[in-house]
Amino acid sequence: MSDITNAFAIGSGAATGALSRFYLTEWSKAKYGTKFPYATFGINVTGCLAMGFFFTISKGIAGYPTELDLLIRTGFLGSYTTFSTYGFDTLTMWRSNQKIATIFYWAGSAILGVVAVFLGAAIAKLFIK
Amino acid sequence: MNSLKGRFPIAVAIGAIFGALSRFYITDLAKAMFGKDFGFYGTFFINVTGCLIIAYILTLATENIRLISPELRLMTTTGFCGAYTTFSTYGLEASGFLEKGNITMLLVYFVGSAISGMIGIQIGVLLARTCDRQS
Repeated sequence: MSDITNAFAIGSGAATGALSRFYLTEWSKAKYGTKFPYATFGINVTGCLAMGFFFTISKGIAGYPTELDLLIRTGFLGSYTTFSTYGFDTLTMWRSNQKIATIFYWAGSAILGVVAVFLGAAIAKLFIK
Repeated sequence: MNSLKGRFPIAVAIGAIFGALSRFYITDLAKAMFGKDFGFYGTFFINVTGCLIIAYILTLATENIRLISPELRLMTTTGFCGAYTTFSTYGLEASGFLEKGNITMLLVYFVGSAISGMIGIQIGVLLARTCDRQS
């Protein structure tokens, strides 16, 4: 039974996470063009922020339900953020000869992602004390 | 083209459900095989193979090697690969190594994932280009 509940929690989180990413990416392409992947960059950094926040919340609150953790973190945030598009964007930008922007995107996403996790964890600590 | 309604978002959502569940079961398998603290083996594998798959499919589609319908393309790339791979767990695991002061693992995992991802992308592109072109 719990296997099905878990799968359902992950699946519903994943569908909403991926759709949020899809719509944000389409909106950003229409508004800011396709030269720099603003949407994927913003999605990955904000997703890391939320990941740090909810990880700390889930560890800090006794009896935090596993299903909720799977829904939010494994399902929604895992699906909202993406590593594969990040990799392919990097290649596309490199090919279009934007070398400096490519390096900024490639290294910047990774570094800001980790910083955002710490920031999210710090915000969560304000709530659980 | 109205891509924001109808079949396109449904394709994304279906792909995403399969992608996220694959990630969950592979991470669980990695934990069962290598121990509770080694879920990042799974994440590493997932992110590199996901990069390979997305580069393979997008190269087939954008270089006209194979005809792929927009629905199938969205389902497999934005949906499946996007949900299968994850940036947030990567960030969380990297920050965990940093917090524990495990600088060696931080560098191996954090820098290694980013570089291996790009190698995965290149392999995907090469595999797609070695496919016979559709005449």
